[in-house]
Amino acid sequence: MADIKVENVTKRFGDFIAVDNVSMTIEDQEFAVLLGPSGCGKTTLLRTIAGLGMADDGRISIGGRDVTYLPPRQRKISMVFQSYAIFPHMTVYDNIAFGLKMNKFDGREIDKRVREGAELLHIENMLDRYPSKMSGGQRQRVAVARAIAMKSEVLLMDEPLSNLDALLRLEMRAELKRLLQEIKATTLYVTHDQIEALSMGDRIAVMKEGEIQQYDIPDAVYDLPTNHFVGSFIGNPPMNFMQGQVQRQNGQVRVRIGDFDLSPSNSMQPLLSAYEGKPIYIGIRAENMEILAEPAEDALQVEVLVVEPLGSQNLLTVQIGDDLVKVATHPTFKVKPGTKVWVRFPEEKIRWVDHDTRQALYPS
Amino acid sequence: MSAPSSPKRRRKRNWAPYLLILPSIVYLALFFAYPMVNGLILSVREAGALLTLHGEAQQLSLPTGQLPRGAQVSILDQQGNLISQDELDQANLVTEIWFQTRGQDSTGETLEGWAPGTRIRVRETNESGAPVSGTVRPRIGSDDPLTFIYAEPNDNSEIVGSLEVQTPVEILDQVTLEVWFLVRAEVEEQTEEGWVQSRYLQVFGDGTQGRVSRGDTGQFTTRYFQQMVNDRFFVPALRTTLLLMVIIIPIQFVLAITMALVIQANPKGSGLFLYLFTIGLGVSDLAVGIVWYSIFTQLGYLNSILQGLGLIDSPITYLSATKQYWILIAIILAEVWRATSIVMVIVVAGMQAISREVLEAAEIFGAGFWQRVRYVILPLLRPSLQVALILRTILAFQVFAVVVVLGGGDIVTVLANETYRQYYDLRNVNVAAAYSVFILLLSMFTAVFYLRAVRTQEEVGG
Ligand SMILES: Nc1ncnc2c1ncn2[C@@H]1O[C@H](COP(=O)(O)OP(=O)(O)O)[C@@H](O)[C@H]1O
Ligand SMILES: [Mg+2]
Repeated sequence: MADIKVENVTKRFGDFIAVDNVSMTIEDQEFAVLLGPSGCGKTTLLRTIAGLGMADDGRISIGGRDVTYLPPRQRKISMVFQSYAIFPHMTVYDNIAFGLKMNKFDGREIDKRVREGAELLHIENMLDRYPSKMSGGQRQRVAVARAIAMKSEVLLMDEPLSNLDALLRLEMRAELKRLLQEIKATTLYVTHDQIEALSMGDRIAVMKEGEIQQYDIPDAVYDLPTNHFVGSFIGNPPMNFMQGQVQRQNGQVRVRIGDFDLSPSNSMQPLLSAYEGKPIYIGIRAENMEILAEPAEDALQVEVLVVEPLGSQNLLTVQIGDDLVKVATHPTFKVKPGTKVWVRFPEEKIRWVDHDTRQALYPS
Repeated sequence: MSAPSSPKRRRKRNWAPYLLILPSIVYLALFFAYPMVNGLILSVREAGALLTLHGEAQQLSLPTGQLPRGAQVSILDQQGNLISQDELDQANLVTEIWFQTRGQDSTGETLEGWAPGTRIRVRETNESGAPVSGTVRPRIGSDDPLTFIYAEPNDNSEIVGSLEVQTPVEILDQVTLEVWFLVRAEVEEQTEEGWVQSRYLQVFGDGTQGRVSRGDTGQFTTRYFQQMVNDRFFVPALRTTLLLMVIIIPIQFVLAITMALVIQANPKGSGLFLYLFTIGLGVSDLAVGIVWYSIFTQLGYLNSILQGLGLIDSPITYLSATKQYWILIAIILAEVWRATSIVMVIVVAGMQAISREVLEAAEIFGAGFWQRVRYVILPLLRPSLQVALILRTILAFQVFAVVVVLGGGDIVTVLANETYRQYYDLRNVNVAAAYSVFILLLSMFTAVFYLRAVRTQEEVGG
């Protein structure tokens, strides 16, 4: 049992708050991804959990043991650094064996584990090499092998794939996912790449400016973002946000976008009635809009500005009100820029976001 | 790995790098190699050890053999030969003066030619002192009253006539000749014979015997090195130099590495600390010696402090001939104070090149502080330590001013001090050169040794 509990952890650098009152729990053997733009404090949070830099506030416990004030080596964790941080003066073998040696494993066990780890990462024929004679991808494998050879219950990884080229990254992503499923460690994986996060994580914590915005399973983070930021950070293309005006017509709440009235689902009616007369954001993902070549009563007529054929879909950019909106269509839907098309918004796919707090509104 | 290049493609020679190297080669040759080679030559070459014998009384004639300095010779013949004006200040020079004269012989014919200066009495000189006229001298103790006149200023040349005693002559010109001697000597059961210039000989009594006082060519010799090794200060100097090195360098490295570790841990004010510590670098070693002298002298700070604290009743004399160990301690303290920072600067720079994440990785994977030092920091510092070690060792062989100030140069002496003593006090340039060559060799051997000892590191390739 090695769950990681982070409770109200704050980390400051002088006046700058890098991690702001963060709480999250990673269950035993869970694969959690910490996702956020560069500079949002992911590394800082990870390092705080690892013990490289003490938390200024809050508590961290691993497997029920309070480790807040313990040095890294007493936290029973292993880690993969963004720069790999493999020892340049040691062979691959010694690199992988380092942690085992420091923890006084016996020679035979060390040898067994080094070979096991090297095999898992397909570097078993490079054990005598020095890191200076290896490629980035190979070094990365050494770093991962070194971490998993420890068989720690907790594995921390800081953007392990970010220094690899695109193709290698794709390949390693799948391999790493398989590997991590196999070793069953409680993992916190830091990345700024939302596709990596969505494809690998059991749960994703989205971080911004030192705060966790949302911590949920990938589907929820994708489909039910808690706020404007999560919606626009995740997904490619990001979620569209249009500005509308909440009005009441015939006792029903309506939201006006340009010269089109949107009727929110019944479950949203009570929530939205509080916003009467105020602006609101309407969020919807590109693939959730229906696009029609013919006019329909509940569809909004728009003009196509840009057409981007992406192979698996055609991505149209249209103007709705003052906002540019991306709409995904089937690749067989052929239009030219300047054509008029009709867009329908399925009410269950619309996410409503408060104009001022930017928090998404969900019926409780 | 790389694709085989086509054999037809000829590599174009790029001369630019060579041109860029040229100034440094010139620099090295002029300011480095030349003085060093000269120093080396001074230490192993005995100047003027051999004298070349010539087939004729002429510089350009073929050499017929060599005589060592000090060889006894018998003089068989002598002959004058032209000498340039600026060679006239040579020691032992035997010269002759010849006059070009014009006068009338017994038949009344005008005769012009050269006569030895000894045969003409100068009667008149011009305003600059040059003779203009004279008379032929009588020949004392000789039956032949005539004086021969030669075609050239050389008594081997053709005789153009003769003048009678007291004949008045005009003196047209005058030359100075150096006397060459035809000498013979037995060297190692062999008879050597040939002409030598008078400047190399010391002629005895009647002019038939002489001795080679110096030679004109050098000879390889180990004399100066023998002299150095047999010098009564050599062994103490070498011993003290090595002793100081063996004590000081480890202290400096331990201190420097400790400091570097402290600075690396980056506590507040460690930057200032580094600056403070490097002050020693800026102070000349002579000044450092004087500072520490003023601490250890009888009325110095150390005694004042100890007395002030009531630890001693009367001042202790530390730096005296009977307390060599105190002098050594003072030297060690002064050297450690002065020169640790150079090691520290190098080690700190090396330390800063170690990636922070690598050290953190070691920490994560269970290495405690000492394990990090032992397995990560020291191995990664190896190139820096190597540089610092070479530098420090070489500097340790040259330790001088501090030792002279604190040890007076007699009681405790080091190699550099002996070099100075030989050169300045004993005026023995060659032995001084031998000392410096010895120091150079020691430095080079240690440098090569260190480089070899850590060669395995190169295989890592950074
Ligand atoms: N040692 C430090 N001293 C001062 N500021 C730091 C330090 N480490 C990180 N920061 C700041 O904290 C913020 C978060 O950094 P980091 O956690 O590395 O971001 P991320 O890993 O998400 O890209 C950044 O703005 C960075 O400048
Ligand atoms: Mg980071």
